[in-house]
Amino acid sequence: MQKITDSPIDFAEDIIHDVKNSKEEGVLKCVQCGMCTSTCPAARHSDYNPRDIIERVLEGDITILEDDCIWNCFYCYTCHSVCPVGNSVCEVNQILKQFAIKNGIGYEKLYEYMGFADSYFTAAIGAIPEIFFADIDRDVPGWWDFRQHLDEIRNELELDPPLMPPKDVIDEVSTILTITGFKKKIENIREAQEGEK
Amino acid sequence: MKSVPDKDILLFRSCLVSVEYPGVEASTKFVFDKLGIDYAISEKQTCCTGLGHYSDVFDQIDTTAIGARNFRIAREIGRPNLVMMCATCYAINKKSVKLLNKKDDLREHINKLFDDNGLSHLKYEKDDLKPTENIFHVVDILYGKKDEIKDHIKYDLSGYTIATHHGCHYCKVHYEDTIGGVRDPNILDELIEECGCKTIGWYDHKRATCGTGFRQRYSNPELSFTATADKMNAIADEDVDIMVHLCPNCHIQFDRYQHLIGEREGRNFRAIHLNIAQFIALAMGGDFDKVIGVKAHTVPIDSVIKELKEVEQ
Repeated sequence: MQKITDSPIDFAEDIIHDVKNSKEEGVLKCVQCGMCTSTCPAARHSDYNPRDIIERVLEGDITILEDDCIWNCFYCYTCHSVCPVGNSVCEVNQILKQFAIKNGIGYEKLYEYMGFADSYFTAAIGAIPEIFFADIDRDVPGWWDFRQHLDEIRNELELDPPLMPPKDVIDEVSTILTITGFKKKIENIREAQEGEK
Repeated sequence: MKSVPDKDILLFRSCLVSVEYPGVEASTKFVFDKLGIDYAISEKQTCCTGLGHYSDVFDQIDTTAIGARNFRIAREIGRPNLVMMCATCYAINKKSVKLLNKKDDLREHINKLFDDNGLSHLKYEKDDLKPTENIFHVVDILYGKKDEIKDHIKYDLSGYTIATHHGCHYCKVHYEDTIGGVRDPNILDELIEECGCKTIGWYDHKRATCGTGFRQRYSNPELSFTATADKMNAIADEDVDIMVHLCPNCHIQFDRYQHLIGEREGRNFRAIHLNIAQFIALAMGGDFDKVIGVKAHTVPIDSVIKELKEVEQ
């Protein structure tokens, strides 16, 4: 019989102690009822299974960090909002991904999104990364043309202040993201991915 | 219902609103002005990190440190009530306030980083802000003033078939603070009713995600668009003219990709997409180009709204 002092619980304990966890010991209260899976859009349309994720966490199965399926979560928080014991698979999933990244797993998944980091250092805004512009242009007729006229449209709407914050604000935000370790993490991901090419 | 402020508001700018649907910002200001709400926008406030956060690029400490800076700015200008146009900004900021108040280690760690790097002016003290009393979405503020909306209605939009989509990061993340229901969300339906219109109410998949799923739309489009198709098929079955939502992420997913998803499904989806602030601004007489910002929309607003009929006095 599994006891609470068994080592598999360590994995769940690490999740409970993660700063992102807002559900205290919720993960230990899971009764495997499957409410999460029954309302999950990723479970409806792919192999993603939130109930199974918690089962594997409670079994101490750390191979889940390498399982591609964890990257299918929509972060829609439906599971989080319906769980009868107050667990949140959505938060657990986010924590698992950060564990994976800290272990050097999933860098290729983040690489496409480096634009979010770059736009923060150059403009303190979180614009859609340019790497996706070609896809958007293909899928959305007229979008590129609209973006070329964004300034005119904003002027017509008399929006103030302008889109871009002042330089001292961008500098302050860049400093914050350097001292939290964010900048170093981004450099490491980039180096690892570009080194492979 | 929780208490909702109508003054000392920092209207929190959203990156997606700014670059994709700037008319949402203009419409929010237009409606706030009509309702006598005291708000300001600050050029010092920066992005909540939400899109990067939910693409797993930003970790919680990065997001919360950026949040602490924005919270300091709001307090500095005497506007401690943060009001968000985007559901993701709303959920991100509310979580950061909760964590900063509750997790002493995190707060002390961030404050020490600020202290050690010449940023002491940004430090956050426990309970500087309260998650329920200071962090709101625009819909909360509108709901607090809903009895006054009908006094300002100029156009009658009641002839259209209207459905609502509520935005997961408004309803489901901090469900204890959500007005109008979580599993059966209705705050938008109630606000639309104050404009003299009746929505279709419940429909299949009403509470489901728009399908954006952050990284899903770009890295896993098949999964994303399949989820969106559930919703689009459901509203097409109801022959909806106008879909009303409260988040620019959902707005992009529906408005920008409706044509593509229609091709995939072999159906002609024809609904137009408006943020609730745009819908109310339109009913209050806001100009298509100077307030609603229709030029930013992919599905043309005038494909459904061809003429506006004034309400009978």
